Amino acid sequence: MGDNKRYPELKRRLSPGWWTASRHYAMYMIREWTSLFVALYSLVFIYGLSLWAMGSRADFLNFLKNPAIIGFSLVALVFTMYHAVTWFYLLGAISPIKIGRSKTKPWQALVLNLVLLVIVSYLAIWLLILR
Amino acid sequence: MSQDIATIRVTRYRPEKDSKPYFQEYKVPYRHDMVVLDALNYIKAEMDGSLTYRWSCRMGVCGSCGANIDGEPKLTCASFLHDFKGRTITVEPMANFPVVKDLVVDMEDFMEKLVKIKPWIIREKETLPEQGEYKQSAQELERYSQFSSCINCMLCYAACPIYGLNEKFLGPAATALAYRYIEDSRDQGKDVRFPIVHEMEGVWECTLVGECSVVCPKGVDPMLAIQKTKILGATNAIKSILMPRGGR
Repeated sequence: MGDNKRYPELKRRLSPGWWTASRHYAMYMIREWTSLFVALYSLVFIYGLSLWAMGSRADFLNFLKNPAIIGFSLVALVFTMYHAVTWFYLLGAISPIKIGRSKTKPWQALVLNLVLLVIVSYLAIWLLILR
Repeated sequence: MSQDIATIRVTRYRPEKDSKPYFQEYKVPYRHDMVVLDALNYIKAEMDGSLTYRWSCRMGVCGSCGANIDGEPKLTCASFLHDFKGRTITVEPMANFPVVKDLVVDMEDFMEKLVKIKPWIIREKETLPEQGEYKQSAQELERYSQFSSCINCMLCYAACPIYGLNEKFLGPAATALAYRYIEDSRDQGKDVRFPIVHEMEGVWECTLVGECSVVCPKGVDPMLAIQKTKILGATNAIKSILMPRGGR
């Protein structure tokens, strides 16, 4: 007679450091963390705009010229660029555009979106600061 | 022909004896054409008959022999021993699934998810075979054909940390299969399948880790299927707000 008893299964849980197990997971986690900087920068920028709304454009520009804000902006820029590049690439991977019989490659979407980003950024800078 | 020796470290877990899993090391002589599964078979036949693992076809078709090899989910039948020359090969049960014994995992959860998405063609009204087949063009076939190549090996689940953190997540293969039917021009079951894939633990749980598509041995891109399903769901939701009665 066989032993029909069912033994307990070994349940496994991911440890909090699961994302350090491979380079791919780590890159994913960094991508997710960069959104924190995107959010923080948005808050800083909204605060700057509120200075302008309640005071003058000079208040806004002086706030932006603060060395701490410049330093933070540079750090945020690096992370935001990483965020943008990874997401633009994914956008191309998820939604390739059909042209005739061929489909666009992810890097093409990345380049196109980066060009659009530069144009939109320049327009925003021109509108807010240079004008 | 000279033979090399592979050092293989295999997870052992015998629930009737062991409270915790441990590694057991074996030295296996191998030829150039041998894969990890051949080594496991050698161990079972020549060294230790108690080693337990699943396998069937030996040729990447059945999807039974998945394991984590050096931490990466792979089919043991498609992993050549010579690729690991000079290193110890670690073979563990596929990550994220409960272990029944040694390398054997419990597939029940995946099987339930597979059935849940109704992987068959749903018609509003079935017609008899005599009335003719449901026709489809080559272009229509192309829309879903890659997603029909899934062999249910579950490597994508072993690679998915989202599934590892939340086992309720519908997961890569089940969604890819759901999308395969959603995109099938012969299928009319969108209204039945959409609520299933768009549940809280459906596609929206995915945060695009993308490892599912990396590990798939059949070139299926489940990450793509999940995102496409999200896009379809979002456009449908907008349509139903803009055109509550029409839009079909």
